[in-house]
Amino acid sequence: MQNDPLTFGQLLERHERELFAYALRISGQRADAEDLYQDTFLAAFRAWPPPRRGNERAWLYRIATNRAIDRERRAKRVVANVEDLVLAAPERDDVTLADLAGAIETLPAGQRAAFVLRKVQGLPYVEIAVALECTEQAARARVSEALKKVKAAVA
Amino acid sequence: MDVAVGEARERLLARAKKEGLTTIGYDVLGSPLGPLWVAIGPKGVTTIHYGSEPSESELRRLVRVYGPGVVPDPKRSSALARELDQYFNGRRHEFDVEVDLSGLTPFQTKVLVATAKIPFGSVSTYGQIARRAGNEKASRAAGGALNHNPIPIVVPCHRVVGSNGALVGYAGGLDTKRRLLAIEGAEVGRRH
Repeated sequence: MQNDPLTFGQLLERHERELFAYALRISGQRADAEDLYQDTFLAAFRAWPPPRRGNERAWLYRIATNRAIDRERRAKRVVANVEDLVLAAPERDDVTLADLAGAIETLPAGQRAAFVLRKVQGLPYVEIAVALECTEQAARARVSEALKKVKAAVA
Repeated sequence: MDVAVGEARERLLARAKKEGLTTIGYDVLGSPLGPLWVAIGPKGVTTIHYGSEPSESELRRLVRVYGPGVVPDPKRSSALARELDQYFNGRRHEFDVEVDLSGLTPFQTKVLVATAKIPFGSVSTYGQIARRAGNEKASRAAGGALNHNPIPIVVPCHRVVGSNGALVGYAGGLDTKRRLLAIEGAEVGRRH
């Protein structure tokens, strides 16, 4: 495990690509994703220092997720980025990525974040729990609930 | 994707700067001696480190003095990059960039200030530097201070050699010290 980041630069260099990808996947639009990425890291800089012992990645995901949910409440609109969902696509010919994106779009923001954190970003449940500010068990339940709804929607 | 992150980062850092959250800008420069991690603070150059990443102890010093706002900022080091290029090409004998030795001990600062006065192409011994730093018996301590010089090349600790003219030691490696002295045409450490 790497040492705790000492500077903003270290935090950025270690995590910005991953967080930018996450921002794209949950906000869907490049401009919104860029705003989310900027707001997330600015909030992290203002709240410095990050939690100790290598937990800063989940901490960043939590900041990003909370901001994305807040934004959505205000804007009432989030479109999942279709191209980026390829990793989450089920191997079935009759389900298009657009169908999948549509299904994910209908999820409540918290469940959508849970789905993307697990199925697209591939985070372990222990980090998803930190990002969503819930127990690991609740994180599993949210992902499974989201998965069930996505499956039902594309069935 | 990379371009998108790069553009987003630039705007993020502009916002952070506007809020007064950043203090030091760093970059990795290419050089004939390999990559150099360089950092510029509000008062001048704080760091030139051999390699593409700074040492943990150097980062800790920067954070102790200037806080955690140490961020990538290539524009800030452009003057230093230009002067280093000229130096390596033999077209510059003195550096004009300001240096910032904040956070060092008083003795280390004196040693580095004395070292900064050694002219291009000349050498001094550890004993001479210790004397100029105010303690002629402290040549070993002067060696230690020079070994932790945070701004090598610009503060020319490569111009300090053993009392018999031997190169002795250099944080960037003896080969590097030899190459720097060769750029300057200084004749030391030759065994005939």
